[in-house]
Amino acid sequence: MLDCRLEKQRRDYRVVIELATERARVALFGPSGSGKSTVLACLAGLAVPDGGYIRWQGERWFPPALPLHRRALGYLSQHETLFPHLSVADNVLFALRDKRQGANGPWVSELRERLHLDPLWHSRPHQLSGGQARRVALARTLARQPGLVLLDEPFTGLDRPLVRELTNTLKTWQERLGFTLIAVDHDPLMLQDLCPTVIAMDEGRVIQQGSWTDLRHAPANDRLRALLDLPV
Amino acid sequence: MSKDGVRALSLAAAGLFLLYPLWGLFVPVGRWDWAHAGAPGALATSLGLTGVALVIVVAVGTPLAFSLRTAPRPLRTLFEAIVLLSVLMPPLALGLLLALAFGPRSAVGAALLRLGIPTSNSSTAFVVTQVYASLGYYLLGATAAFDAVPQALEQSAALLGAPPAQVFWHITLPLARLGLGAAASLAWVRALGEFGAIMVTAYYPHGIPVELWVDLQDQGLPTVLPLLLIFLLCALPVPWLLRLVARSRGYA
Repeated sequence: MLDCRLEKQRRDYRVVIELATERARVALFGPSGSGKSTVLACLAGLAVPDGGYIRWQGERWFPPALPLHRRALGYLSQHETLFPHLSVADNVLFALRDKRQGANGPWVSELRERLHLDPLWHSRPHQLSGGQARRVALARTLARQPGLVLLDEPFTGLDRPLVRELTNTLKTWQERLGFTLIAVDHDPLMLQDLCPTVIAMDEGRVIQQGSWTDLRHAPANDRLRALLDLPV
Repeated sequence: MSKDGVRALSLAAAGLFLLYPLWGLFVPVGRWDWAHAGAPGALATSLGLTGVALVIVVAVGTPLAFSLRTAPRPLRTLFEAIVLLSVLMPPLALGLLLALAFGPRSAVGAALLRLGIPTSNSSTAFVVTQVYASLGYYLLGATAAFDAVPQALEQSAALLGAPPAQVFWHITLPLARLGLGAAASLAWVRALGEFGAIMVTAYYPHGIPVELWVDLQDQGLPTVLPLLLIFLLCALPVPWLLRLVARSRGYA
């Protein structure tokens, strides 16, 4: 179970959020600069909170800040972070302790098949298209089956059919493997497809949470209403 | 003229400019005296001791340069100023200062002498002088090489469960290797060609630069030029190999 309270000062406001979730898919939704990515960065260890605590499965991640490599999570951001000197295979297998065994295991085979990686397996990242690189990055994130998966605008710039395909694949895996998934995006369609639960943020605060139906029925403010493409 | 044509012409002109001094080898100076120019001892001294110096420079300089990345800004600025000071030091001045600082009148020099370590005119003095002359150059290049590695990639590796040592060996070092190869090449060239400082601290054993000077004084150009040619042929492959090894598993 993820149990946290985070406080982090940003330039214009203070991000404050409490979150307790387990084996669920939760969306953090809100306008740009509302503090969504800050929350993920704090959970991943890329940013150090000013206050609060983070506990995962009873283990304390903060305070003090647990080093990144000891947090059993998967983190996928919109930025290109495939290792350019390694092949697709080596990128995907990077997180596995026993790479040879892992490469032949059923999970990696499933990742290769579902994400259509076989034709790319021996390619280098600079040979991939944007969509292919995202699929490889997703496979790498999930290769060691992390219990907590954080997605920070993971599919930005991809076309809608590919986003839908990746979203459906993720949903299937999450339901089967039972990992906790927290996704951040400013695209409500993708988030709605992926996560049944939504936490809406604005200027660092949670302003609404529940189902997408509730959010669409009565958005907490006009900025949310505009983001959801509802008449203001 | 096309863009490719302009580039080819510019590179050709620059290449010719850089190679032109070698034309000196073809200028008539009389019959080359190969018999007295062998100087195998000088060649072995230069290549062997420079190799030792380079190993020390890389072994010390690489972790130092890497640690600078995460050093507090004031500490890094101060250290970089010290490195620049060592790089800017005129070779002859460096030699004089080393001779004084490690000489018998200094505490360090006296202590070393008591331990039986000769601080001048010895292989030790030769290597130490070369290390002083080239470490700063290596540090400048290696620091730039590590700075060029995107931190996001290292963080990604850590988020995939890689401890710091694994991140360094599997991500940082391979991505910095081209720059590190260039820095090592520069350090090699700098150490091997060192003359001014070596003249003061380690006139003996003669390395090639000192041997060239001595031969020029005593026997003239016909003896110097063969030695110079041997020197160039033996010294050039090392930086070249360093670059090739660095590029060997390139991804671009």
